[in-house]
Amino acid sequence: MPSSVVTLNVNGEEREFLVRPGMNLLTALRERLGLTAAKQGCAQGTCGTCTVVLDGRAVFSCLVPVETIDGARVETLEGLANNGRLDPIQEAFLDNFATQCGFCASGMIMAAKALLAENPQPTREDVIRAISGNVCRCTGYGAIIDAILDAARIRSSRLVAAAR
Amino acid sequence: MLGGGTIVMRDVNAGALGIEGLVSLCRLGLDRIVIDGNLARLGAFTTLAAVERHPALAALRTAMESIGSPTLRSTATVGGNVCASYPGDLATCLWALDATVTVASREGAKEKSVADVITTGLAAAEIVTEVWFRIPEANAWFYRKAMRRALNSGSIVTIAAHVPVVDGAITSPRVAIGGVAARPVRALSAEKVLEGQPLTRAVVEKAAAAALQDVSPVSDACASAWYRSRVLPVHFRRALLREGA
Repeated sequence: MPSSVVTLNVNGEEREFLVRPGMNLLTALRERLGLTAAKQGCAQGTCGTCTVVLDGRAVFSCLVPVETIDGARVETLEGLANNGRLDPIQEAFLDNFATQCGFCASGMIMAAKALLAENPQPTREDVIRAISGNVCRCTGYGAIIDAILDAARIRSSRLVAAAR
Repeated sequence: MLGGGTIVMRDVNAGALGIEGLVSLCRLGLDRIVIDGNLARLGAFTTLAAVERHPALAALRTAMESIGSPTLRSTATVGGNVCASYPGDLATCLWALDATVTVASREGAKEKSVADVITTGLAAAEIVTEVWFRIPEANAWFYRKAMRRALNSGSIVTIAAHVPVVDGAITSPRVAIGGVAARPVRALSAEKVLEGQPLTRAVVEKAAAAALQDVSPVSDACASAWYRSRVLPVHFRRALLREGA
């Protein structure tokens, strides 16, 4: 079967590339677009290291057949920082020591991004539920949860400051 | 056939043999939820997340939240949960709710009970396009999924039960048990015990013991068959008496 052309809006930019039949979004991001922040941990949708934001929702990119999302909007970790200025979630992860080996970090941060876009003032419970699809073997999750709650506070205080 | 891809793509990614082509159902417009009084019609391509969020389907929220993670539910579909070779917890719920499915094929569309699809699957070139059921009253709906972890975990045993009480007597109970084997089963022995009785601890415990006759538990990564047999009556009782978290 021949390859087909898929176009995605990735981190605000139109990107066009060839896909083999049945290629998943993770492979497309990593191998076609060179965006390697999203990781392949299991390719089964059980570890969450491939998590990206697709049309505003956190998804396991390893399970999304990229041919079915032609024209969609995808956000990855590479698109978070703005002209070198880190996103509040990234800042909070650094300040809270929420990453050790770093393998889960991209997935965790993108899950957090999707959460805070939908629920800017999450409770601890909300955060735990939002990252329940993401496995971390290093940190014990506590620092990650603290970081995401911290990021919510940073974002809302910046919105308040900007409004003044 | 691909719904959200959360089951089929696992096999594709693992390089499984025997997959000659993939057909996605994403462009058929089957992702709508229509509520008509207490009748809910779910397009087969509706995501589990959309079902979870829908205000009219609040009775099913606990069940939906027990399936995978929010990330999974954002792409997993109703149709996939019902039609998979291992029907999931939503399928178990739909059986307890006596749901009907619309099945489309070259011969046209026909209706089948969801039980039919869960127990015998679909023929080749048949697809489920819609699932519909009567939304249960919250006080007649019982659901419990026993898992190894609090979230995002396979089932040790799943109990889904529609147990209406009319004038103090249980009337037409429907209990489905999932998680214990590859496919959910209908707990007919337990239902027989419940029918016409008051919803009391004694009756529930008797029904819980009877439920063991309805299942043939298997051993898998989540639990052994022995363990499932051992805890099924406990979780059955906890579900119907609304005990514990």
